[in-house]
Amino acid sequence: MKKLAFSLLLIIVPAAVLAAGLLRIPATVSTTEIFRTFNPVITDAWAREGREFITKVNSFKNYYGILLAGLPLVFLVHYVVFGPKKFPESGEKVFYYGAFLRLVHWGAALTMSLLVLSGLAVVFAKFLGGGALVLKLRAVHVGAAFSFVPFGVLLFLLLLKDMLPAPYDLKWFLVLGGYLWRRQRPVPAGKFNAGQKLWFWLGTVGGIVMFYTGYTLYQFKAPVSVLRQYLVIHLSLGLAVFGLFLIHLYMSLLAVKGALRSMISGYKDREEVAYMHPKYYEKLKP
Amino acid sequence: MARMKFLCDIERCIACNGCVVACKEGHQLPTGIYRRRVIIINEGRPGEHSISIACMHCSDAPCIAVCPTGALYQREDGIVLVSKDVCIGCGYCFMACPFGAPQFPRGNAFGARGAMDKCTFCAGGPAPTFSEKERRLYGQNRIAEGKVPLCAGMCSTKALLAGDGAVIADIFRARVAKRGSGVAWGWSRAYKD
Repeated sequence: MKKLAFSLLLIIVPAAVLAAGLLRIPATVSTTEIFRTFNPVITDAWAREGREFITKVNSFKNYYGILLAGLPLVFLVHYVVFGPKKFPESGEKVFYYGAFLRLVHWGAALTMSLLVLSGLAVVFAKFLGGGALVLKLRAVHVGAAFSFVPFGVLLFLLLLKDMLPAPYDLKWFLVLGGYLWRRQRPVPAGKFNAGQKLWFWLGTVGGIVMFYTGYTLYQFKAPVSVLRQYLVIHLSLGLAVFGLFLIHLYMSLLAVKGALRSMISGYKDREEVAYMHPKYYEKLKP
Repeated sequence: MARMKFLCDIERCIACNGCVVACKEGHQLPTGIYRRRVIIINEGRPGEHSISIACMHCSDAPCIAVCPTGALYQREDGIVLVSKDVCIGCGYCFMACPFGAPQFPRGNAFGARGAMDKCTFCAGGPAPTFSEKERRLYGQNRIAEGKVPLCAGMCSTKALLAGDGAVIADIFRARVAKRGSGVAWGWSRAYKD
């Protein structure tokens, strides 16, 4: 009897185990667990970068505002305290900018001004009331970007040789280009000073980055995570371009007398070259 | 005041895409504009689930936070709306949105983006209620008519609930309490009465 019971047990127990395995109800998955699977599919990278993106994008409006209001104020103080660079006129002229370069420069200047103004319109869209006006200015931004490309490329090719960094450029930055000197002394600079070189590289190489990120943002076909990164790059670099654009404007129109005239006529006063671009001036002397 | 909300019961959603079609047809949306879409996980495998997604009408909406024009705003009942007269189509809202809700019409000259379009909770837009302009820009205003959003109204399994957040939460809570968690799948789990 015992033997029979034991052998029955030997059969029943494994059979029961097997049956339980076959008939087993799949484990219940909680709704929370399912949503955990949904989340990355729906929100993608937002959980990682969303909040940071929002904070960053919103902070840019303040930075642009600071530059827009602050730089003119700095220029005013500089103009009043240190005054513009003036040079004794001997009447002797030095040929500085070729006709083609001047043409390309003004083409780039026009399109760059449009880019800066229409870009600012998007940043300060709320101030302008948004709507059709800013929508059109956004279209201008795109059109100006494409128009800037040929001028940017030509400027790069025409000026590259003179824009290569030189050891004295560091010195120019250290003395802030001599713009804080009251006494007239030669500043360490070649045909173009370090500030002009910075503007050149930002406008050309930075321009490529601006164009690529801008075009991607215009097309809107990249993954949203890439778009977020590109927008932050576009806004950061745009901030630098905007700052140097204002500085370039102040220097050429107000701070250095004769700078604007030289880009129109192509000739600089001998004294201006001697003081502002001495390394180039030395080479000119026979 | 009631706080409007969507809630999709993933135990009931069968991915029929009826909500998507209802929304597109009801508001006469152009091709390529999806105010609502259905997302499926584990498709064709055990553990397949689907959910219907649209603008979530967030309390602290990221789109409103980043919009450089102030075109986006939130009504007192929580519905987030966009003014297409103010929107410049910059796309910041799309990048800030966790759910990919903002949509942009294509087909303009040089592929330019027009004003943003998104789920309105069937509450129209800032244009005068029931005006021709409102219908053309934002679609029907079913909320003003006292009706539930079209997607939820036509949902065949009543997975998609829309309305006062407190009320739909109660409905969902009652459902969960009834179906329990003893059975993993099947009719009785989803529709036990």
